[in-house]
Amino acid sequence: MARESFDKEVQFLRLLALAGGAYNRQQFASRLGISVHTYDKTLRYLKDMRTSLQPLSATQESDLAEGLRYNHYESADPLLLFLFRAKSLKESESVRLSLTITLLQDRELTAKELLDACSESMPSDFLCPDEKTIRGDLKYLEEVGVVTRCEGGRPYRYRASNDLIDCLTDEELLDLYDYVDVMANTQAPAVQGYLLRDTLKKALGRRGFAPEAAETHLYKYHYHSRILDEAHLHTIFQAIRERRRLRFLYLSPKKGKNYASKNTNPLFEREPEGSDETTLPLLVIYDHQYGRWYLIGHSAKLGMMKYRMEGITQIETGDAVPETDFVERLERARAQLERSWVTDTLRPVKVVARFYNPDRSGANFVRDRVEAQGQWGTIREESESTFLYEITVNGIYEIKPWLRSFGSSCEVLEPAWLRKELSAEWEEIRKYYESVRENI
Amino acid sequence: MNPFEKIFNYQIISRLDESNAIALTSQERAWLRTALAHDSSVDAFTPETLGKLRQLLQDESGIDHRDMIVEKAKHAERQVYHPLLRTLRRLIMQDKGMLLTSRIKHGGTKTNQPGLPVKLEYSMVKREWYLLWYSTRGRSFMATKLQSIVSFEETVLPAERVEELRGRVSALLEERRRQAVIEVVRTYSAELSRILYAFSCFDKSVSYDEEENLYRIHVTYLADEGEFLLSRIRFLGLRVKIVEGDELRRRMLESAEKALARYGNEAHRAEQTEKPAP
Repeated sequence: MARESFDKEVQFLRLLALAGGAYNRQQFASRLGISVHTYDKTLRYLKDMRTSLQPLSATQESDLAEGLRYNHYESADPLLLFLFRAKSLKESESVRLSLTITLLQDRELTAKELLDACSESMPSDFLCPDEKTIRGDLKYLEEVGVVTRCEGGRPYRYRASNDLIDCLTDEELLDLYDYVDVMANTQAPAVQGYLLRDTLKKALGRRGFAPEAAETHLYKYHYHSRILDEAHLHTIFQAIRERRRLRFLYLSPKKGKNYASKNTNPLFEREPEGSDETTLPLLVIYDHQYGRWYLIGHSAKLGMMKYRMEGITQIETGDAVPETDFVERLERARAQLERSWVTDTLRPVKVVARFYNPDRSGANFVRDRVEAQGQWGTIREESESTFLYEITVNGIYEIKPWLRSFGSSCEVLEPAWLRKELSAEWEEIRKYYESVRENI
Repeated sequence: MNPFEKIFNYQIISRLDESNAIALTSQERAWLRTALAHDSSVDAFTPETLGKLRQLLQDESGIDHRDMIVEKAKHAERQVYHPLLRTLRRLIMQDKGMLLTSRIKHGGTKTNQPGLPVKLEYSMVKREWYLLWYSTRGRSFMATKLQSIVSFEETVLPAERVEELRGRVSALLEERRRQAVIEVVRTYSAELSRILYAFSCFDKSVSYDEEENLYRIHVTYLADEGEFLLSRIRFLGLRVKIVEGDELRRRMLESAEKALARYGNEAHRAEQTEKPAP
């Protein structure tokens, strides 16, 4: 089967979601390394797909080119999910497969019966399928679990495998929808959960629930683009399980180009930007501070490698390594990462900070946050108004933003050079806003 | 579990929609099976339903990938599902009113506050559930932690009244809406991706001035969410600067001055006496 790459769509949607509205066509295309024509074509394709999935209001329609914006108080629907609906398909095949599934919704049919029923209901502009095609379709649908073969001998009878939905009462179905909604929105990975959420939403509609019934929950401060990074997870997990190396073109997000087109016309061939990487995948890291994924691998020459998922394109599975090699490398990587705030593996440093409780009485949100987000750091009481936080962490680059986010409620005590750095930064920040005083 | 299966193709899905049919894949069932293993499932279902679901899924492969994922910088997960979600969501769905009794911040309780429940909101930052509701007595839009709810009683409201109250909620939300413009400091343009990711959880748009090579992030937020926005801006440090939004700018100046006071003149003194930082 031809391998289909969604790199372009993924990068396209990511740029829309992150920098929505920033670029005109020309700028957008050049940042993706594609022509304006390809930009227009891709945008049209994504638009068509999105409109056919959910009717859009006029404002949403015009919004797509300007980026994907959420109205938080309207819906928790993951707009970027439609990336996973982009697999191309011949129209005749989509007609045939959907008809087959429809015919098997409430009854059991043999391949022959299905063929007759198909011939009757097939829209006139499409050819009627032959028995071989129908059997092929049934095999595929059985593989993906949409159709199940009923008990009993030949000729086999098939039906849609909707038991999970059909066996539930309305109340139970509603509880299930809610649970899937909550878990897809709060846990990772989430793509399959969101797909299930879509399916259950439809099932609720079939039972006569109003569309608003599925919109009672909201999720605040969600990293919507995290599901785009999940596009590679399947390939990575499979490679990890089979202890296989991965090859890909890595575009470091720092270089400013997010996609390198594979040109088939040699006249337009350019030097590919980015680097060809071969790595043995060991694990993936999800960073809750930004909603980003990382791939941790091992390369023969350079040892442990860290890649941002968004920079990985043209991913392919390679050869396998001996189990012992994999296990040893994984153990080493886990040990190295144990004290990483996220992925940093620099020399461990002991950081001590003093935190100040809020002046106001009531909830101590400073203490709450340190307890909840301070990872493996420990807390010691110091005085009525302060407490000490201590952690040994690989390098300070990743923990520093977190410490700084507390503003004047956090004072770094150790190491002295970090204390000095933060003090200098606050001085710079003060200069950013000096003019505010003049305005008052 | 390849999410790029042709069965998920949008043309198939929209055709199935037209004929009111459903395609449920083993990928979705396997994901659910893993999800049901989470502790919170006991709060989400009656024991009978949970048993039934587990039985329906017992033959699914349920390959678990969680051992290959390491989550970092995660907020301690206090609560994923709250037992009150089930009943409250039904009140909202059925357009019911309520009398709410809840604990208040400084101790004590407020009893039987009349109102309309509007939405249930989970904060990914605090990892906690809130009930968003309109208080008819206080004429205000409220957010109450589910954890602080003592009890509630269902009341019946005429449909016109529900409509009217929902209208007021939208108006109140509109009133609370604020806008700020945050500029990416040019020296840090190389870190643009990280900066945009950090703001990707807000309602925002980005503008780019090619001549000046300057990015500006236009964030829309609710007045009471200013604190979280500020903590994100402090998180990014020198990389960004608020250029529009007087209140936020004033707060940043205040933070900087207070922080500098904490470090005292000591930083300055240290510069003269200590060796330079490594």
